[in-house]
Amino acid sequence: MRSLSVFLLLVSCLVLPAFSAAPAEVPPANLIADPVNDPGWKELFARLAPQQARRSQFEERRIFPFRTTPIVLTGEIRISPDRGLSLNYLGAKPQIVIIDQKGVLMRDERGQQRTAPADPRADAATSALFHILRFDLPALAKTFILHGRRDGEAWTLGFEPRDATLSGLIGSVIVQGEGGRVDRINMVKSEKQRIDILISDTKETASFDEEELKRFFR
Amino acid sequence: MAPPQQKIWARAGLMAFAVLCGGWLLQLDYRQKISTNVLDLIPPSEQSPEINLVRGFADDVQSRVMLFALRDPQNPALAKEVAARFAAKLLSSPGFAEAVVIGDSAAQDKLGRTVFERRFELLLPGWLAAKHREFKATGGSDDRFSAWLAEKAAADLESFLAEPEAAAMQEIVLADPLLLVPRLASQAQLFSPQGADAAGYGLVWARIKASPLAEEGQQPVFAAVEAALAEVVLSHPGVELRWSGINRFAAASRARIEAEMRLLNFFSIAAVLAVSAIFVRQIYKIIHLLPVILLSIAGAWTVSTLIFDRLHILVFVIGSLLSGVAIDYGVYIYMQPALRPDEPYAEKLRRLIKPLLASCLTTVIGFSLLLFSDLPLIRQIGLFVGAGLLCALGAAMLYFAQLERPFLEGRQFGGLGSGHQRRAFRLIPRLLLVVAVGIAVLGPFRLRWRDDVRQLDIPAPALNANETELRSLFGESENRSLYLSYGKTAAEAREQLEAFRAGWTKVAPQVATSSLGMLLPLENDWREQTGRIALLGKFPDEFRAALERHGFSSASFAGFFEAWDRLPAASAVRDYAELARSVSAMLTGPLSMLSSTRDPFWFLTVVENPGTPAPVESQTVNVSQLQSLNDLFTRYRWSALRLSLIGLGLVIASVFAIYPFRRAVRIALIPAGSCFFVFGTFGLLGHTLNLFHLLGAFLGVCLSHNYAIFSSENAGAGGAPPVSIRLSALSTATSFGVLAFSQIPVIHALGLTVALIVITTLMTVELEPLARRSA
Repeated sequence: MRSLSVFLLLVSCLVLPAFSAAPAEVPPANLIADPVNDPGWKELFARLAPQQARRSQFEERRIFPFRTTPIVLTGEIRISPDRGLSLNYLGAKPQIVIIDQKGVLMRDERGQQRTAPADPRADAATSALFHILRFDLPALAKTFILHGRRDGEAWTLGFEPRDATLSGLIGSVIVQGEGGRVDRINMVKSEKQRIDILISDTKETASFDEEELKRFFR
Repeated sequence: MAPPQQKIWARAGLMAFAVLCGGWLLQLDYRQKISTNVLDLIPPSEQSPEINLVRGFADDVQSRVMLFALRDPQNPALAKEVAARFAAKLLSSPGFAEAVVIGDSAAQDKLGRTVFERRFELLLPGWLAAKHREFKATGGSDDRFSAWLAEKAAADLESFLAEPEAAAMQEIVLADPLLLVPRLASQAQLFSPQGADAAGYGLVWARIKASPLAEEGQQPVFAAVEAALAEVVLSHPGVELRWSGINRFAAASRARIEAEMRLLNFFSIAAVLAVSAIFVRQIYKIIHLLPVILLSIAGAWTVSTLIFDRLHILVFVIGSLLSGVAIDYGVYIYMQPALRPDEPYAEKLRRLIKPLLASCLTTVIGFSLLLFSDLPLIRQIGLFVGAGLLCALGAAMLYFAQLERPFLEGRQFGGLGSGHQRRAFRLIPRLLLVVAVGIAVLGPFRLRWRDDVRQLDIPAPALNANETELRSLFGESENRSLYLSYGKTAAEAREQLEAFRAGWTKVAPQVATSSLGMLLPLENDWREQTGRIALLGKFPDEFRAALERHGFSSASFAGFFEAWDRLPAASAVRDYAELARSVSAMLTGPLSMLSSTRDPFWFLTVVENPGTPAPVESQTVNVSQLQSLNDLFTRYRWSALRLSLIGLGLVIASVFAIYPFRRAVRIALIPAGSCFFVFGTFGLLGHTLNLFHLLGAFLGVCLSHNYAIFSSENAGAGGAPPVSIRLSALSTATSFGVLAFSQIPVIHALGLTVALIVITTLMTVELEPLARRSA
């Protein structure tokens, strides 16, 4: 059984990615041994690493082994090169989840905040997901084995944690997209235990305004 | 009585007094007798349960905590390993009771596992009671409760899965679909260490066994820290350590006081010697003043420690200034020449006794009034100074009987402007006196007062900055407020905690509060659990059906249903106090300091970014009592002011009873005028004053009173003040002036105020004959 603190750490991991409406993709088989310098991927990774603020819509499907139907959530994703990632869950119980260098922060509609507690496993998971969403390749290469597949402009990347504990926490992560756009993220522990997120309507902007930064980031 | 006999009796008296004082002082247990705790300055009548509770919390719980942060710049990833080695070494030292690596997942897992295993015993009673109340509010009858609860629990579970925590908690949810543990995790989340902010440091929280204010809580502990660091350095040569604890502040304060007192005393003595060298022809003779001062201070210590069970260290720090007053009587007796070469000492003393008694007794009357203050510190100072002055006078009278020729010859420089009859030498002093009167009358209206209990602390900016940074690494924030909910029993304290949390929900629902007290059910909920369970005979079947209706596979929750079937045997504890203690026993390290289930009973609540005033609950108190203590000090300033004014009134009345009217007016006006002039100057310069400026002023007025009395004979004759006044006043002014350079706010306030009042008095005494001179 997980400890109290592990609860929230796992939260951080599994919650952030919330991505993909489609069934989980089969991880691509082509190993990318040196993602920083691989000539086939270098240019794409440079495009994927956020240089500007991004705002997207998402639909998250949480698939639990003990449920016959998935839990479906919708919201907005904001990525700031400086401030990290922010997920704004809409719906009956609005909630903002912020992932940045300091860890994970959750903020409810009343403004009440809570952070994920310290735990080496949580830190590793949070850090890994933070790097994935920022396509920070040097950092990613330390933690994950990368596989990739391209089909014209479309691409699929698979991230397999090198560490078994981390793998147990977040499973494998599959990111799909086209050109410089991320369309889907799947976090797969098993067929019946995963989170799929579909990302749409991505818009880039020079930066978020002050109010948006204050509301959606730490 | 013949002179030789007088000498023998005087010597015997002095010896007996010295032996009595020495004997008493040598056998004292100074650790027990002298307090350094700020809260000891609060009178017992003000030591409400809240203050005592906060004091106990600060003394016994918070003060023994030490924080360590370690980093190996060459191997940042090894910070936790370095921290673990350091903690293990600390723990092997006899000075440490606990040393815990923050973020140690093994400890967290253990606690999480225990909480989970005891969830039905600890968390179910509160949950069930809350749901039952919710159900009763719908107007339903108890036979429908089970079905209602099943539907409600399934709906809550479905709703929970949309929350951020859900994905992380899915394993727990299978065994805990009632969400007992996830809800607790949410309620206690402010206690979670914020390891992600640790900036590459491995963090160690430790608790020492001895009081940090005691010697065994300082040097042995520091040695253990050094030994632990040395051990870690063997394997990680570049490791950096940052650490903090109350004992570091206490040791630094003591070192600071000792160093400052050494320095100030050196300059003070040097200043007195320099002044003496100017006014005394045979300077080595001033050594005869030393026994008088020593016996005066010994007497003050003896009487104070005899009367009071416990005295604050500040009494002795402030009381050491007594020497400035005590020296006056000796100087006055010693520097008065004999009327004729064969004048016996007793005759000389009879001649001087009136001003001596007038000076001493009026001052003692003034300080005696402080005995009626509400503030223990002021009472203690009143007794210390009063007793010291009587001892000083007695010692001076007896000591100089030992000398064959008790006379210290001084240099008489004559009065200012003496020998000059020009008009300017009359007008300038008059003009200066008019300006001084103007300042004395108008300036005090611009005075600003600020009482801050922190002025009693010794400033340590570097240690404070280090402490702040370390606490930040440990995830503590200045935006958090701590509250203690207390009661006569664990059950009452838990009730108060519940009321306090409910109060927050009412006044500011957005404010995050956390308390580990939520681990313990309310006593009533716990006792009524059996009755409520009895209403839930069909609950398992109804809950399975409800789960299926809400899209769950009920078979996945088999573990929960098996545990539910064993529910009646979930708690072996039959006594609530025992249950409370068993909860405390689960908590180790920093978490063990968040509640007390033994007398005194309390639970700590952390409130983040309150922004609004806390709800008023009769048995919950803010741990930070700073404002309350400041308010208290303001009240005591007014109390001290009132008593000082009454004392001054009595002193003046005594003067009028002893001296003719015109001379009495002069004696009364000089000290009072000097005091108002100095306060007026402070007011015009925008200097902020506090209680200790007021005490300094009282001391200054009493000293000035002596000078006004001793100079009255010469002033009446239009002459310059006697050399004894100049020597005494200048010595006092310079020695107190040195204290004005102290970095310790209290000493600075006292030194500055006394020095300025004495200087003003001396200037007045010097200028007065000039101003009164007729053309």
